[in-house]
Amino acid sequence: MTQDELLSKLASKLPRLEKASAQVKDYLTMRLPSADELVPTAKLLKEDLGFDYLEMISATDWLGAVKPEGYIRNPNPNIFLAEGATPQSIPTATPGFNYHPAFELVWTFASIADRVRFFLRLEIPRDNPRVPTLTGLFKAADWQERELFDLMGILFDGHPNLIKILTPDFTQGHPLRKDYVHIKDKYDE
Amino acid sequence: MGIVLEKLPGITKGLPGGELFLTTADNIIEYARKTSLWPMTFGLACCAIEMMASYASRFDFDRFGVIPRPSPRQADVMIVAGTVCKKMAEPILEIYHQMPEPRFVISMGSCANCGGPYYDSYSVLKGVDRIVPVDVYIAGCPPRPEALQYAVVKLQEKMQKMRTISIAGASLQQEHGSRDILSTAPNNEPLISPEIGPRIEIG
Repeated sequence: MTQDELLSKLASKLPRLEKASAQVKDYLTMRLPSADELVPTAKLLKEDLGFDYLEMISATDWLGAVKPEGYIRNPNPNIFLAEGATPQSIPTATPGFNYHPAFELVWTFASIADRVRFFLRLEIPRDNPRVPTLTGLFKAADWQERELFDLMGILFDGHPNLIKILTPDFTQGHPLRKDYVHIKDKYDE
Repeated sequence: MGIVLEKLPGITKGLPGGELFLTTADNIIEYARKTSLWPMTFGLACCAIEMMASYASRFDFDRFGVIPRPSPRQADVMIVAGTVCKKMAEPILEIYHQMPEPRFVISMGSCANCGGPYYDSYSVLKGVDRIVPVDVYIAGCPPRPEALQYAVVKLQEKMQKMRTISIAGASLQQEHGSRDILSTAPNNEPLISPEIGPRIEIG
């Protein structure tokens, strides 16, 4: 199945999906209009189009001046603040760079029989990061979603066991968020 | 060895010339100890690759009597090879307390010494000496196998000078034996060996 065939099939079955402006490594990348469409889309991909394998889920925090390639331009100066020091103001948006208060999630589906890969993008607001879970369709989503919850603080509605997976229990906050401030734990002095 | 260590200072304490006997016993004990230095087999990061190379035939750690053991109960020395994450700190402490005394720790590489390149990380312990006492530090990122072998030689020199029985004298354990120590120790104090220091409790 080539990209154009897949695109025409998706256009007939899911007309609300639009092609994303930035493609992931020349693979077909589509943008979801809202989080409610995620589960029907994944179900259709799995059952009708043969995408039987969820490769990965990843997330990006677009808060912070970030180059499109992903490098931090002006990092948060307050992450390791000394005792009693006043926090510096976080640099605002650098013109020309993609800066907005949103998380962007990327799902990668693969069809092993057809040897084709498909990327799905979704932007969610930063103040209420809620997405429906895919654990009902793909078992592989379980740990991936726990990792995103642990490091980015994204809540997956309906996940059976949404607890920390990587950081120890005493680590507070979500370390990969751009506005993360480290709270000293028992191993820091 | 256990009987010698536990009973000998108590027996020879009152004998004329007993101190000389203890010195000779020290030599034997230290020689035996330093020529069979068994490390605990575990590696945390890329330093462990160099540690494995040291065990293998090209560098041949067996010359020093260093044979990796799969259990902390059979090990004398713990080689902390790699980055110590905060999540890994408690298992390391548990392994350390499972090792029989006298126990030694080699901190291998910059990460285990002070955190290394991850010093400002939210998840990395800034040096393994925050949780266990360290005998020998090895600088490097990662250190060569020769550096690790030099650290073992240095540790052997340290063990050669320990003079466990004659300098430290008979400890409470040595005078009364391990079995009776709880009934004879004043106020049931926990056993603290002089060269290791008190146990560090984290929790």
